Amino acid sequence: MVAAGFRVSKDDQGRRHIQLFGQWSLRAPSNDFAKLKKSLEPFFLDTSITWNLNEVEQLDAAGASVLLSGWGNRLNANISFTPEQATLFNTLIGLTRPPSKKIQQDWLAPLIGLGKGVLHLAHHFTEFIHLLILLLIEIAYLIRRPQDFPWREFSANVYKSGVNALPVTALLGFMIGVVMGYLMSKQLHTFGADIYIVNILGLSIIRELGPVLMAVLVAGRSGSAMTAQIGVMRVTDEIDALTTMGISRILRVVLPKVLGLTFVAPLLVLWTSSWTLIGGAFASNLELGISFRFFFDYLPLVVQPVNFTLSLIKGLMFGFVVALVACHFGLRIKPNTESLSNSTTSSVVTAISGVILVNAWFAILTRGIGV
Amino acid sequence: MIESPKQTIPPENIPDQDVICDIQNVCTEFDDNIVHHNLNLTVKRGDILALVGRSGCGKTTLLRHIIGLTKPQSGKVLLFGENLHAMERVAQRRLMNRFGVLFQQGALFSALSVFENVAFPLRELKQFDESVIYQLVMHKLTLVELEPRYADLLPAEISGGMVKRVGLARALALEPELLVLDEPTAGLDPDRSHNFIDLVKQLKKSLGLTVLFVTHDMDTLASLAERVAVLEDKHIIADCSLQELARIDHPFVINFFQSIRSRLERL
Repeated sequence: MVAAGFRVSKDDQGRRHIQLFGQWSLRAPSNDFAKLKKSLEPFFLDTSITWNLNEVEQLDAAGASVLLSGWGNRLNANISFTPEQATLFNTLIGLTRPPSKKIQQDWLAPLIGLGKGVLHLAHHFTEFIHLLILLLIEIAYLIRRPQDFPWREFSANVYKSGVNALPVTALLGFMIGVVMGYLMSKQLHTFGADIYIVNILGLSIIRELGPVLMAVLVAGRSGSAMTAQIGVMRVTDEIDALTTMGISRILRVVLPKVLGLTFVAPLLVLWTSSWTLIGGAFASNLELGISFRFFFDYLPLVVQPVNFTLSLIKGLMFGFVVALVACHFGLRIKPNTESLSNSTTSSVVTAISGVILVNAWFAILTRGIGV
Repeated sequence: MIESPKQTIPPENIPDQDVICDIQNVCTEFDDNIVHHNLNLTVKRGDILALVGRSGCGKTTLLRHIIGLTKPQSGKVLLFGENLHAMERVAQRRLMNRFGVLFQQGALFSALSVFENVAFPLRELKQFDESVIYQLVMHKLTLVELEPRYADLLPAEISGGMVKRVGLARALALEPELLVLDEPTAGLDPDRSHNFIDLVKQLKKSLGLTVLFVTHDMDTLASLAERVAVLEDKHIIADCSLQELARIDHPFVINFFQSIRSRLERL
């Protein structure tokens, strides 16, 4: 195979002729049409030059299109070619890009964007409420027919989002506990208020940090997985298959996830808070010499037990919010990769924001209790 | 033993221009399941070769070996006389541009529009400007008889038959010499699959393609294949034209030929 090339000759009247030869085709692996076009640039501009394509062995659409774009997308009398090439050129000329529509400056565009955003948000909100109501209807149905409860899916979800999350929540909880304990010990020690480390750590971890830390971890770990799973089930028509078997997708897909996470989240809160406290106790032991025995003996005396109840309630709510948000975004996924990634991102971001919002609301409601 | 000083190059080491793909003694196994054992197959320039066999006999695996997605445990797969897995990266890429693949489900990029899907391989070459890319994409879409108004739709918004045609247009974008089709007519209605076969035949003629395809559909096989390779018992038991299958004495081939004979007579 001969690569595409050309040679220029001058006749006795001083006119230039350009002769193309070789394979003007993508099939010749050594062709680089960008380079060819660049070296032909000066000849394209010269209107008196004559082109001869009769020696070209093979001309494909790519080669022809590059030449055409150089000639300003039309053929003229100076170009000689074979009939086969002519048909190719004529087909390609018919395929020119339609003039792009002029983009008009629209002063209302920001306003329209804002309006669309608000509508989009409202749409999300109504769909979310819709899902919530559907879920409540299914729960009511289950109360009447308890034998339909999807135990297998429920326990699978408890295992996946609860049991499998134990190592990572313990590790992160412990490390955050160590860091907090260390920093607070330093501060308290300067005031000689060493003993208050138990109060501070106990209250902040049990009441706030434990539940929120658990929720953030679970949203990143299980929430994203739920969204992606439901999304792929939608893409592969599995959800439709379930529906045609007369099985409610809410009952079989959404409900076990939501109830499973709601059930296991308080237990995870307990677990995460315990490890964070152990980390805090470890740091105060090192920094202030407070013994573990003393730390955990003193803890129930300074932190009212109602705080513990509050943290479990928070766990319930956070688990519910994370799972419901994850399912909501999962069910909205359209069958393409872009939508899958966008929805998974939104799911995690919304779940974490939702958790922090609920936490703030709950903090205001319970401001007089247990502190 | 004394080796003779003059070593002649064995003839099989010279890349033959007319052999597109050469599979030599390929063995494949998944865990304990032996799929191919000393399998040999040659695809010549201008062939329309069908690869047939029972479900799960390793046809798609062989196809994946050929296009370099997987590597056999032993044996060689030579494409255009070269081993895809023993090449330097740039050369490997060039070689991969010489064949186009149409996957069973089309495998279009779901986030890109029809136009961008076909434009993708062209853009990757980094040799063309936008107007040329536009012309080439539209040319390919015309080749597969797809109207320009579908160009801006996403793959999820078009029908299965159109997905196949867009996949074919994308496979053809770089003017390949070899076209590999995995179940080209699966999921198409008889009318559409008939049109699709005609399209492939016509493209084969006009672009000088070599076509290698896997199919379970007897109609597709009877109307498209010029040669057929039967994969059975871990190797190719027959490699001949459809009519010559009648002479082969093997229970699978006999069975197979019975179901294809009536279709051949109708043509």
